[in-house]
Amino acid sequence: MPPPSPTPPTPPGPPRSPGSGEGGAPYDWSDARSGSRRGGAATVTEHPAAPPPRGGHDDFGDHAFWERLPYRGTTWTRVLAIGLLCFGLWFLLDAPSLQRSAQVSPLGTRRTVSLDVVGPVAALSRTLGLSSVVGATDRVLGRTPGGGPSLAVPVHRSKPKPTPTPVVVNGTTTTTTLPPLNYHPTPAMPLKVLIVGDSVGLDLGQPLVNALAAYGDVSTYLDGRIDTGLSRPDYFNWPAELQVDLANQQPNLVVVMIGANDPQGLVTPTGSLSYGEPGWDAAYSARVAAFIAEANAAGAHVLWVGMPPMQNPGLNAELEHLNSLVQAQVAATKDNGASYLSSVPALGGAKGVYAAYLPDASGAVINVRTPDGIHLTPGGGARLAAAVTSAIQTQLHIALVPGVGGTGRRT
Amino acid sequence: MLFPTIDFAIFFAVVYTVQWLLVPYAGPWKAFMVLASYVFYAWSDWRFIFLLAASTTIAYIGGRLVHPATGRRRKATMWTTVVLLLGLLGWFKYYGFLAVNVDNVTHALDLGRPVPLLAVTLPVGISFFTFMAISYVVDIYRGVLRPARGIDVTVYLAFFPHLIAGPIVRGTELLPQIRTMRNRDDVHYVEAFWLIAAGLAKKVVLSSYLSTYVVDPVFANPHQHSALEVLFAIWGYAVQIYADFSGYTDIAIGLAMLMGFRFPVNFRRPYTAIDLQDFWRRWHITLSFWLRDYLYIPLGGNRGTEGRVSFNIMVTMLLGGLWHGASWTFVIWGAYHGVGQVIGRRRRAARIARGEPAEPVGRARVAWARFVTFQVVCLGWLFFRADTLGDAFAMLSRLVVGWGSSPLVTPLALLAIVAGIASQYLPDNWLDRALAFFADRRLVVQGGILGLVLLAITTLGPQGVAPFIYYRF
Repeated sequence: MPPPSPTPPTPPGPPRSPGSGEGGAPYDWSDARSGSRRGGAATVTEHPAAPPPRGGHDDFGDHAFWERLPYRGTTWTRVLAIGLLCFGLWFLLDAPSLQRSAQVSPLGTRRTVSLDVVGPVAALSRTLGLSSVVGATDRVLGRTPGGGPSLAVPVHRSKPKPTPTPVVVNGTTTTTTLPPLNYHPTPAMPLKVLIVGDSVGLDLGQPLVNALAAYGDVSTYLDGRIDTGLSRPDYFNWPAELQVDLANQQPNLVVVMIGANDPQGLVTPTGSLSYGEPGWDAAYSARVAAFIAEANAAGAHVLWVGMPPMQNPGLNAELEHLNSLVQAQVAATKDNGASYLSSVPALGGAKGVYAAYLPDASGAVINVRTPDGIHLTPGGGARLAAAVTSAIQTQLHIALVPGVGGTGRRT
Repeated sequence: MLFPTIDFAIFFAVVYTVQWLLVPYAGPWKAFMVLASYVFYAWSDWRFIFLLAASTTIAYIGGRLVHPATGRRRKATMWTTVVLLLGLLGWFKYYGFLAVNVDNVTHALDLGRPVPLLAVTLPVGISFFTFMAISYVVDIYRGVLRPARGIDVTVYLAFFPHLIAGPIVRGTELLPQIRTMRNRDDVHYVEAFWLIAAGLAKKVVLSSYLSTYVVDPVFANPHQHSALEVLFAIWGYAVQIYADFSGYTDIAIGLAMLMGFRFPVNFRRPYTAIDLQDFWRRWHITLSFWLRDYLYIPLGGNRGTEGRVSFNIMVTMLLGGLWHGASWTFVIWGAYHGVGQVIGRRRRAARIARGEPAEPVGRARVAWARFVTFQVVCLGWLFFRADTLGDAFAMLSRLVVGWGSSPLVTPLALLAIVAGIASQYLPDNWLDRALAFFADRRLVVQGGILGLVLLAITTLGPQGVAPFIYYRF
């Protein structure tokens, strides 16, 4: 181990004035005029080297950081060279990951430029075999390299019960591919709810798990993924994720709240479609329909919760449009396989517009939306969760009986 | 714009180069730094640059008016300026909280709903630059600072490394540096790169991991988790908030250092504290000192009766709690620390009166004091982090009755918590040796080492960075 740098410690105090060594500065850094324009009434003792004021309460300890700078400084150009080398090496080694990140970013100029810049470096990295460093680390960590958002919050609540849903109809037991909508959950026939959503869906999902925990014979499983939607399966593939969730959880009800990130360009097998372009609505509607069909095919009814009003008028208009597309697809679903619940009655203010504050059950006003004007506060989430719980009972006619033994129980 | 982003890396590379090229030219350097800082601030929401400009204007004019005034006029001018600055903070940060509580009281008393409930967007960094602006005016009032030129005040308040989340740098600390030409041949890069690398590792790896996999799931659904999971979530949050906030300010201090500026230290191994008073000398130090100098001492500080001192401590800690956010949970957290400080102060006085040492002596006693202090601080964090008071108490009850499996308690979670705490107990000479090794390498090797460190951080971190906790303060 080499000995520490021989440079003596820098003396205490803020940085010394280095101006004298520069010689012939074209502009005077000193501030002789300052404070003297009006003539000071008070004597000011400030000096560039003056330490911070001490209040005489020494029990708060020392304030100075720059008392100890034991290593020799260097020129700014040398530091720039070190920094550029650092970023250059990192860029070369991590270029394939950066390229994947750029590929799944929203369509537009930024994505195009990023891909143009990163592409050749990523190709070089692969050619030289450098990308294997990151790839190997990803494998060790059990991740798919560049594969979608890892800041996901899958919340396990119950073990899968891989049995088809038995339904008692007129005294005979049959097995159906569609869920029963007029029944009482029992220990033998629990209501198994799968909740899937984007970040707004997570705001609903977490309180909904709590709300359903108050009922017996109900189990829930929440799979929420921030920054996701149906527009960009190349970034996060919700249909594939749903397939896994359906197989593992065997739900008979899927609550969906997805869409806040979806007003953006769609990547299709044949190219891309910008939001608002002819064909976008049809392509997005087809994805919604396929998502519902996927759940139905596994024997689960879909309760799709629409996006609430947004503070930003532009985003609000876009999500209202998306809500209408979803509603149309729900209405077109065969065999009563899906229902739609608008979140406007629960979260809209007067005339259904955006509202940050709404009264709770006791009449006290609570903040229901986060400062970004998009997401729900825990109080807002609880309000919508109550509406969903009510809809499960009144709209889907599933009799939920208060009692312990459902969601909260770990099986 | 947040530090751990590609956008910021490109921004900083440009700003670093141009600002060092402009160093011989004070006027252009200051104009460029104002432009760069305002671009940095406008990145998230351009509308709020007018707020930053308004705060700067108020502080500048206030300082100019306070300086020549005398007697009651001087005091009144200072107070007017401070009230105006606090008014901006109050409107943007506390209006909603105040309106909801007033509304609920008037509604309960059948007085109708006289207060409009408006959704006011909270501008990032407002709590930090407002406190800096207040310190500037009060320091002029106290005669420890001269009024600075408008451009200097603008650079002082907008200087981008501290703009979003501190540290809270005083005018007496930064203005002299802004007025002094920095030495282009004396950039303390070893310390700066260490601060930035350590800050990124804490923020991007440790904080993000704990928040995503341990803390957030438990705090979101306290009823659904076992006692062990709740315990891990509370300890995990203690490490997360330290890694998150100290990491961010370490990066800020390092960036400033690369541009030739020295910022005050903001964290000094806070989880090695032996009591709550010690903790506040180590945690968010620039805020602690700000509260001491601009609130606690004006209230009377340590002078007066024991009751008066206790009152001063409680007011300081309550308002300090409220500074962190407009919510009752923050008020409770402030009150908790206030009570803890008062009790600690009285216990210390009692020990001295009995002729015992004021602080624990011996390794076992010090270790016990540190352990207990950490648990006391963690209990405070529980109220700080919980969405509601009900959730906080639910977690406390789960600690006792929450039997069951604990899938979130993994070896990796334990490792992250232990690493976050143990890092604060590492001897100084370990770091010295590592930095000395780095300092003695050639340029190419230094760049290579840093590149690999950066690669390790971005590879080990999640493919997205969890939201920065102090961002919203």
